[in-house]
Amino acid sequence: MTQTRLDDDGLSLDRIGIYAILLGLVVFYLLPLEAGIVTSFKTMRAYGQTAPFLPALGGFTVAQWSSAVDQLSAGLFNSVLMAVPATVFSALLGSMTAYGLTNIDWRGQVGVYVLFVAGIFVPYQAVLVPLKRFWSQWAPLHIWLEPIWNLTGLGTDYAGLLALTITHIAYGIPICTLLFRSYYKSVSDEMVEAARLDGASIRRIYRRIILPLSVPMFAVTLIYQFTQIWNDLLFALIIVGPGDASVITQSLIGIGQSEAVTNFPLQMAAAFVTALPTLLVYIFFGEQFAKGVTA
Amino acid sequence: MDSVRSWLRRRIDSIQTDQQVRTDGGTASEVSQGERRSGLGRYLDSDAVESAPFWLPSFLLVGLFVYGAIVWNVIISLTDYEGLGDPQYASFDLENYRQMLQETGSYSFTNAFVNTIVLLVAFTLICLAFGLVVAILVDRDIRFENTFRTIYLLPMSLSFVVTAKMWLWMYSSNGGFVNRALGVVGIGPVNFIRNPDPNVQLAAVVFALIWQFSGYAMVVYLAGLRAIPDEHFEAARVDGASIVKMYWRVVIPQLRTATVSASVVLMVFGLKAFDFLRALYGNDTPAVGTDILPTYMVRVAFGDASRIAYGSAVAVVLFALAFSIVLPYLYSEYRRGAL
Amino acid sequence: MAELELDDLTKVFVEDDGNEIVAVDGVDVTVADGEFLVLVGPSGCGKSTTLRMIAGLESITSGELRLAGERINERKPADRNTAMVFQSYALYPHMTVKQNMSFGLEESTDMPAAEIAETVTEAAEMMGIGDLLDRKPGELSGGQQQRVALGRAIVRDPEVFLMDEPLSNLDAKLRSKMRTELQRLQDDLDVTTIYVTHDQTEAMTMGDRIAVLDDGVLQQVGTPLECYHEPANRFVADFIGEPAMNFFEVEVQGDRLLAEDFAYPVSNETLSTVGDRTELSLGIRPEDIELRTEASSPHDFETVVDVVEPTGDENNLYLTFDPDASEPDTFIATTGGMNRIEAGQPIVAHVPEDAIHLFDADTGQAVKNRSLDDAETLGRAV
Repeated sequence: MTQTRLDDDGLSLDRIGIYAILLGLVVFYLLPLEAGIVTSFKTMRAYGQTAPFLPALGGFTVAQWSSAVDQLSAGLFNSVLMAVPATVFSALLGSMTAYGLTNIDWRGQVGVYVLFVAGIFVPYQAVLVPLKRFWSQWAPLHIWLEPIWNLTGLGTDYAGLLALTITHIAYGIPICTLLFRSYYKSVSDEMVEAARLDGASIRRIYRRIILPLSVPMFAVTLIYQFTQIWNDLLFALIIVGPGDASVITQSLIGIGQSEAVTNFPLQMAAAFVTALPTLLVYIFFGEQFAKGVTA
Repeated sequence: MDSVRSWLRRRIDSIQTDQQVRTDGGTASEVSQGERRSGLGRYLDSDAVESAPFWLPSFLLVGLFVYGAIVWNVIISLTDYEGLGDPQYASFDLENYRQMLQETGSYSFTNAFVNTIVLLVAFTLICLAFGLVVAILVDRDIRFENTFRTIYLLPMSLSFVVTAKMWLWMYSSNGGFVNRALGVVGIGPVNFIRNPDPNVQLAAVVFALIWQFSGYAMVVYLAGLRAIPDEHFEAARVDGASIVKMYWRVVIPQLRTATVSASVVLMVFGLKAFDFLRALYGNDTPAVGTDILPTYMVRVAFGDASRIAYGSAVAVVLFALAFSIVLPYLYSEYRRGAL
Repeated sequence: MAELELDDLTKVFVEDDGNEIVAVDGVDVTVADGEFLVLVGPSGCGKSTTLRMIAGLESITSGELRLAGERINERKPADRNTAMVFQSYALYPHMTVKQNMSFGLEESTDMPAAEIAETVTEAAEMMGIGDLLDRKPGELSGGQQQRVALGRAIVRDPEVFLMDEPLSNLDAKLRSKMRTELQRLQDDLDVTTIYVTHDQTEAMTMGDRIAVLDDGVLQQVGTPLECYHEPANRFVADFIGEPAMNFFEVEVQGDRLLAEDFAYPVSNETLSTVGDRTELSLGIRPEDIELRTEASSPHDFETVVDVVEPTGDENNLYLTFDPDASEPDTFIATTGGMNRIEAGQPIVAHVPEDAIHLFDADTGQAVKNRSLDDAETLGRAV
């Protein structure tokens, strides 16, 4: 970047003004998080007496956090059990679909692709009723897979979690396909042709050329998709419902609600326990996340 | 050159052995290569079929769970199913759609519909305007640009459920930050979340959503700005345009594509605000008047009333609303050759 | 052993709206074993499509492709015994040079790993990239990548090499160096080669024979000098040679060819080739125009120098009959670089009759080509 987009050089008043605004925005975006964090470490007493965004020196406690972890541990386990395979499979299927629709040329592929892309924008409400009926009446996994629930000791509630996983895979495929396709379009056609002349089959080209080249894109897709699936509430509410297999977003809703006085320190601690996996992913792979959302 | 010749000799030897191998065991390929191959064989060999293992599983999954479910939902919306036994697919009518239009009051479909539009428009427009201004600021050779960008985008990586909890605390009339700040200037305390005026509630929700997604608009605009060649800025400066004029007349017109795609995505996120509202209001229904279609649909279909077919009909309207935004966008992308 | 026959090869693309586009229209060439054939023409003439049909990357609409007498239309690309070098080199960026070169052998043969490694190492030594085997393409210069691409084709030990503008991504100096190297390599390996280019200089300097394509139709197949001195039609005459041949539209009147600005008297011998045609194009190569100070023969014409383009060894002179026009029609003559000639200067252009070409104005077919003392200068097989 040259100096072109500058109107002045050096640290003029204008520049200081810009930095002041940008820092003000940092405060704006981080304040709710900051307020949440400091509150989560306060005792109920200190919470009532101190400013929401200032740490309470006298009333520091980790009790809220340990209570939150206690109440959320089942949800945490269930969310991991659901989100990890759902993320991996939707990314893998998205990559394969994008390859089949991009690097292999055949008529009508754009039409098929449009159906995939449109799938990104479907509001979940438009399918909730059928999905619930499908998983309860048409594909009753709790009956079909009964031996598994018995053997693993998970209980039939977990059939709902499996159904949720499959649903998330299906709904993750469109966006994953979009992400991979925009990447595969930039892969040189001549290179794929060279591999064909070299005697590689369509499957081998994927395995030996496309897949190794997709590693950076897998990082982007996995991160974005993990965040989306982890954060979802609606599908979990309808497909899993209340019970042993509830995911963490479901558990979070109920926390601190039933008490007579809203226990904000506990709620904040619970919110951060819920957000922790996505926050960690974001802190370590923020760049990939940004790529994912702008694709 | 000697090395080349000896190499060639060796290669020729190996060709001969290769060919022997082929005559021994390579008959299958010979047959498939002949002119005798039938039309069907040709078809089965085509790339569409060879590539099928790659896209067909996804196609079936998406076809069943997305498109199959959408069609099924439309069918259910024409019945009067209320959750007992199986839906009766014998007689279809538009009774549910008629009911939607008839209901009035703060729990009605009409109210939810109007709220949805207001929320979408306000949320999208403010996010875009805000994001554009921030993007222009960040685009001006800012140090630590990546750090700023990462922080601005951070709220978007959080779950609606998490951000709702945070804003519940921010808005709390019992010591929350917003009310404390307002208290300094002598206002309040205001009960934002349970305010009797639904407009206050809606405004509070929109503000929180803007907090969460304006960073996204900023990132999209920043990418758009980066795609504009420096020459355009230089040319405008040489022409003597002021900074404001340069952005207004040279830069912003070139951000059309960024604006369109950001609006579409923001509206889609706006429609997903169900999670946010649900977490904000707990397991109760949203307080009087703040229903948007996504929450309204879930409440009528899965709440105590269990008006499932009616909920399906609401979902059809929601779907139509979403696709009336998305389809023109997809079509223009297709025309642009961007798909 | 590996003669490649293109028999009436045709490619029709069907567009989405049902329109048919004939990209290659009945191309007929036989490439002899070990021959270096250059397929040349302007962009969009169908030369790459022809090459891709041979490689098996495009299906053949009609016609037959035979390798060593055997039809290979339906064979999969990998089974055609061809190897292709692409314009972009198409190297696999995530693989080392060694892996790039091994890939084809691994995928298409049962060769044991040790033998593959040996073959690759030898081919790499031959291409002078033996010390680069563990690098990745991104770490190589353009010229080195080019060698890897060639090496990758060589290890396949194909019966036919297909090259699609392989030198066009190199800078001018390296390109002329690689041109020589490629010719030498092809000579040594003696593998039938088809080389596609839009650059007539490459065509002239590299090919045993060149095939000129325009609009999907084969215009001429011949040695470079045949195409240069005995073009089959006006298109070939115009395409081959730099600067290009000058053309004047003329009308036959008695024993004279009447152009807009001059009349050119011709001998009976020439007239007899013209037959009863009345409209012709007269062509003359820039280097065949002799410059004189005074008009002394009926083939001398007084002109004015409009623009001088010095290239160092030569001057390209743009001459005009009509110096007062604001944008005068010009034709080109080349002269030695040592001659000092300035724009605006009058000069006499001598157009020798034995150097002129005549083309039918309607069909463009050559009516008369320049006379040559010795057919051997055309580089025909003796």
